[in-house]
Amino acid sequence: MTFQAENIRVSYGKTQVLRDVSLTADAGQVTAIVGPNGSGKSTLLGAMTASLPYTGRVSINSTNIKALKPWELASQRAVLPQASRLAFPFTVIEVVRIGHQAGSSGDDPDVPMKALARVGMAHYANRTFQELSGGEAQRVMLARVLAQVWAPVLNGQPRWLLLDEPVSSLDIAHQLQVMEIARDFANAGGGVIAVMHDLNLTALFADRVAVLSGGQNIAEGPTTDVLNDETLSRAYGCTLRVSALPSTKAPFILPHTATA
Amino acid sequence: MTALSDVIAAPKDRVHRARSLHWVLALLLGLAALASLEVGATDVSLSALLLKLVQGQELSHIEQIVLYDIRLPRLAMGIVVGSALAVSGATMQGLFRNPLADPGIVGVGAGAGLGAILSIVLGAVLPASILAVAGNHLTSLAAFLGGWGSTLILYRVSTRHGRTSVATMLLAGIALGSLAGAVSGILVYMADDQQLRDLTFWGMGSLAGASWTKVFAAAPLILLSVGTALYLGRGLNGLALGEATAAHIGIDVQKMKSITILAVAGATGAAVAVSGGIGFIGIVVPHVLRLASGPDHRTLLLNSALLGATLLILADVIARVIIAPAELPIGIVTAVLGAPVFLWILLKRRGLVEL
Repeated sequence: MTFQAENIRVSYGKTQVLRDVSLTADAGQVTAIVGPNGSGKSTLLGAMTASLPYTGRVSINSTNIKALKPWELASQRAVLPQASRLAFPFTVIEVVRIGHQAGSSGDDPDVPMKALARVGMAHYANRTFQELSGGEAQRVMLARVLAQVWAPVLNGQPRWLLLDEPVSSLDIAHQLQVMEIARDFANAGGGVIAVMHDLNLTALFADRVAVLSGGQNIAEGPTTDVLNDETLSRAYGCTLRVSALPSTKAPFILPHTATA
Repeated sequence: MTALSDVIAAPKDRVHRARSLHWVLALLLGLAALASLEVGATDVSLSALLLKLVQGQELSHIEQIVLYDIRLPRLAMGIVVGSALAVSGATMQGLFRNPLADPGIVGVGAGAGLGAILSIVLGAVLPASILAVAGNHLTSLAAFLGGWGSTLILYRVSTRHGRTSVATMLLAGIALGSLAGAVSGILVYMADDQQLRDLTFWGMGSLAGASWTKVFAAAPLILLSVGTALYLGRGLNGLALGEATAAHIGIDVQKMKSITILAVAGATGAAVAVSGGIGFIGIVVPHVLRLASGPDHRTLLLNSALLGATLLILADVIARVIIAPAELPIGIVTAVLGAPVFLWILLKRRGLVEL
């Protein structure tokens, strides 16, 4: 089962932001979308979540998303936006419940609390959302998204997490925690597509990587194949050196070795 | 996992509190209704009349008129108008994701008012066939259209890419309100004596002119709009997370917004058409309820209807007794009570209101 984007084109006014971008993500894997600022990463995710007008075809588990009603889509995939603003003083648990009610995750009333516990925010359940720091708010939103698709596989169909820069305002411990959650979701049979800024976290957690640059997909494939000196240097417009840890062979990129 | 079950217990309470508030508020509404029937310019009192009825005595002609033709329709109008104002306030605040969005403040009331004035002054020139069909409902319908138009314009102007700018909303509301006020002024200038009298009565913001005719003219549109609004709870909760996220959690956002705008316009329009501009109910009621039992729209909307009706009836009682036998326009009472609350919200949320 896959989440597929085929020949996606998006324009803002006369500027073409995405030119014929295609991407295939498999269930059971973490697929990362990386690329420099303005390369169209978030726009691609926006098209895949039908948040903005696009041409081309996006399909979830082989069904065109345009053929699905909003609530049908909501039961198959959940979306974590880059930044979340919330009107009105809902408590943390109420926010997560809104997500839970959206996704036909079953009637288990404990799911919202379990989701909060998963992101390490259970003790803040009764706080008002507006009192939270940026990083805490981001984790609560992740809990909301998890509560929406709590079971990674439902009725034999994989469900999907679409995450737009899920670790952007988190400290290193919580960056790892969030990526572990994504990893576990994929290991349990669900699919994860994440727009990533941090190449090292991408190298650590992603199975597949798509590299966007100038609105085009310039490389896509298994993480170790795609993250190489040439592709990254071309994408980011500076000389980057990919190294590998002797112990795990996981690639890493140090800014020290980059030259603009 | 004791810690987990501890924290589960408390937030459930807020849901329960909001649900039990339904009953408390319904009881309060009943009490307010009794007070409203009891008090008035004549010394006819409900308790005395009930005693008479129980004893099997006939009510005198005057007593019948006071009870059936003056106080009861006034009470009925207070209930429909009060719930309409509060629910359209709560609904509009949900749509604009801001506790300060109230039809009366952002020009929707003025737009509805323009519609009403148009129908009073220029209604006579409409083809007879339309007049025959619209009948008593003409002013309500015109006010509804005026409210609908101004809500649409307001939303278009202040929302870009699914985000509503509060500053733009308030400023656009001021502009829309002044424009509607100016055009209304021109119409008032054009009006003849009889029309001026109608306009004056209408513009005072009062339940004083209540009659069964007016109640039946406004009630259908208000009941339809408020009834529809009561089903928008889940959608408005989703909208609190922003339009994009609302769509991601399965809400048909475009459809929801259109229905919301129609419901706000219907309730505001019909309320304005029969009672003029009564301010602050739409802003105070939802705010107090959010403090009491949280912002969940699934319970907030019904509670707003109940508390809105109760408060308006009580304000009407105050308006009737405070300078009896004369009476104060109810708009003055609601403004005196409501404006300070509005300022208090601003003061408390100074850091939170994103302008």
